[in-house]
Amino acid sequence: MSGRSFKSVFMVASCAGAALGCYMVSLRVASERAKLESVETQIVMAQRDIRLLQTEIGTRGRLSQLERWNAGAFALSAPNANQFLGGSFELAKLVAPSHEVDFQAPVVMASAPAPEPKAAPIGEPATDDAGTEAVTTVATEKTELLHQASLKTGTREVPATTTAAIPLRAVQKSTDKPVAAAIPAPKKSADKPGLAAAKPVQKKTADTVIATAKPIAKKPAEIVAKSPPKKSVDKPIAAVAKPMTKPVRIAKADTVASLSAKSAKKPAKDHVSGQ
Amino acid sequence: MNAPSPALVAPRPERLRLVGQRRQILAVMHQRLMFGMLVYAGIVVLIALRILYLAAFGDHAGAKEGLTALVPDRGDIVDRNGDPLARTIDAWTIAIHPNKVIGDKLALAQKLAQLMPELSADQYFALLKSNKPFFYLRRRAAPGLVEAVNAIGEPGLAIEREPDRLYPQTSLAAHVIGFTDIDGHGAAGVERAFDKYLSDPATRGKPLQLSISSPIQQALEHELGTAMTTFSAIGAAGVVMDVHTGEVLAMTSLPTMNPNVAGQGTPDQMFNRATLGVFELGSTFKPFTLAMALDSGVVTGPGQMLNCPDTLPVYGRVIHDTHPFGRQCSIAEAMMESSNIAMGQVADRLGKTRQQAWLKKMGFLDKPEIELREKGRPLTPGSRWGPLETITIGFGQGIAVAPLQLAMGYATLFNGGIYHPPTILKVGPDHPLGPGKRVFTADTSYRMRSLLRLVVMKGTGKKADAPGYRVGGKTGTAQKIINGHYSQTINLTSFAGVFPMDDPRYVIVVMLDEPKATKDTYGFTTAGWNVAPVVSRTISRIAPMLGVAPNMNREPNMSEVLPYIHDASQDTKKD
Repeated sequence: MSGRSFKSVFMVASCAGAALGCYMVSLRVASERAKLESVETQIVMAQRDIRLLQTEIGTRGRLSQLERWNAGAFALSAPNANQFLGGSFELAKLVAPSHEVDFQAPVVMASAPAPEPKAAPIGEPATDDAGTEAVTTVATEKTELLHQASLKTGTREVPATTTAAIPLRAVQKSTDKPVAAAIPAPKKSADKPGLAAAKPVQKKTADTVIATAKPIAKKPAEIVAKSPPKKSVDKPIAAVAKPMTKPVRIAKADTVASLSAKSAKKPAKDHVSGQ
Repeated sequence: MNAPSPALVAPRPERLRLVGQRRQILAVMHQRLMFGMLVYAGIVVLIALRILYLAAFGDHAGAKEGLTALVPDRGDIVDRNGDPLARTIDAWTIAIHPNKVIGDKLALAQKLAQLMPELSADQYFALLKSNKPFFYLRRRAAPGLVEAVNAIGEPGLAIEREPDRLYPQTSLAAHVIGFTDIDGHGAAGVERAFDKYLSDPATRGKPLQLSISSPIQQALEHELGTAMTTFSAIGAAGVVMDVHTGEVLAMTSLPTMNPNVAGQGTPDQMFNRATLGVFELGSTFKPFTLAMALDSGVVTGPGQMLNCPDTLPVYGRVIHDTHPFGRQCSIAEAMMESSNIAMGQVADRLGKTRQQAWLKKMGFLDKPEIELREKGRPLTPGSRWGPLETITIGFGQGIAVAPLQLAMGYATLFNGGIYHPPTILKVGPDHPLGPGKRVFTADTSYRMRSLLRLVVMKGTGKKADAPGYRVGGKTGTAQKIINGHYSQTINLTSFAGVFPMDDPRYVIVVMLDEPKATKDTYGFTTAGWNVAPVVSRTISRIAPMLGVAPNMNREPNMSEVLPYIHDASQDTKKD
């Protein structure tokens, strides 16, 4: 009974509560919105201040003013053309140590004795003759100098030496094709390289030696190239064997040799240790 | 007694009627009352709804005006690097309403005279006593002064903030930027040309980006200003332009003015010599003549020989050379020594029709196509254009163009032969580069490189060389017309240079008006002595900023021209 009589009151109260709740929500929204607006306004005002300050700084530090200060106090000038560097290499060139003549240094004669030929590994055919040995050493040095002019030879030389690096002892063991091809080289093409190299040394001048030394250098490579490589892996090795000049000597010091020629790896090591 | 009382008997009909009326009235009244109540309730509901609406969506009492973005009253002008060249800021303005002054006017006048001494106390007093409603005392006042004036406490004084146009770089590129009038509308330069863009609320929020580069402009202005002072010239102009796009990187006219106080400028300072002024620029025209001749096959190459006597009488006039050959000379030599006689002959072979057609294509017969409004119309012989005029135009006499046009011509000649209209706006997405139109063949453009490099290496423009930057160019010394005659002493010297010559990228044109001889120039007033060094110094300064790497080992192909140079020193050795 009482509940029914108060029903309308409850209705009004709940309506009022709901309306109040809605109003509170909207009030909250409005106040948040107002805060946002004020923040936005602050941002704009700050931007305006920044702009004003930037303008003031820009005006006080205007270029004509800087120029005046520079003329009066700093005296800075534009860099000269030779003050510009093309890159790190040119920068490094600037600090190159100057060449100084050391008068205390021992006198070195212009006609220095030829370096002692190194002991050839056992069983190497090319080093039998002392004369040929000397010629090939000279040829090596000269051709190395010649090769420096071209960037390509540097990379090619490495695998080339690997084929030749294999001493005879190792070669005989190995079954690999290019290596095997290297063996018949002195035999097959007969004495051609040997003759060509040996002759001018004894009779002609050093210049012709270099000239003739080249074909020698090429010869083994050609032979290697000619020999039919069956494995595709072998092909590049044969192809790059061209500039090879003096096989054994370079190969000893070359560490790359062991890396590029897999089959020759072991014997090469043996050889070095043998030395 | 028997008479029945009316109350006991049936009511009288009129009374009944009365009751009926009352009831009716009552009903009407109820109705009206109800209606009024409804109206009232409706209003209350409306108000309540409105309040609710306002509470939910409306602005509150503390809300400020919607400042969501910073849109200046007039658009900014910035250079190609984004540095401001013109801005609108709020400045303090001090004004006075003489009618509203309530204090002692004499004391006020004395105080004002103390604070702002540009007027005396008497003048202030006269102003205060005048019946004018309003006048400005100071615009763009310093904050300190505003504070002091405010401290006077006179209600008649009006202190307000007003938008004001400020040019932070003061006189830098003043003729390009221009200035605004008192109403804030553009009165000159870019301010005038782009007034609509700068004042339109839709576009003014985005700054107007010019092709001008402030550091390059400053370098050009400084070097040119120094030369102008050194040689006591009455004026100077300079233009630096990108040959591939036609963008003007720097353009100056001296004497310059301060656009912040544009009203104080003299007409001479206001005059833009680079675009509005037209001048006979002399020998700087010769490369055009030669290019036209090469292009049309009149001249086969730098090795072609011409007869170069000491003087050449043509059509009743005698042409002279400053360095007369008196022998046969090659085209390369003629260019190197700037021979009027040789170039006159080349122009004569070219003929009037072809010369006019080419000059038209290069835009030398019309106003320059730049956006600025201050443009001068070139002066040409017009109807008097005959064979003699063709010859004189061949070496730069008888035609007057603006220095900007000369730069434009060199840009066309050295960018491969394609004409692009000069522009003051930065080329980019907002302002794309047009296709341009071909004027010279690419081959002619290429062959001219070594010829102009030769002028700087061995010829009249030696002092314009900037080591490592491969400058090529041509000097021009034009005699000024004084009282209708070419003066023998008063010159207008110019230099048009291009760098780096092995792959042309920028053109620089420099002009000095009436330079005087100094001790250092040994009495000469020719271009090689006064403007050429300006070019050298300016290029040394600006080329690194423009990304031109100096290289002492690069040159255009000089073997195309050097064989055709007669070396006098070798003759003496042989003898």
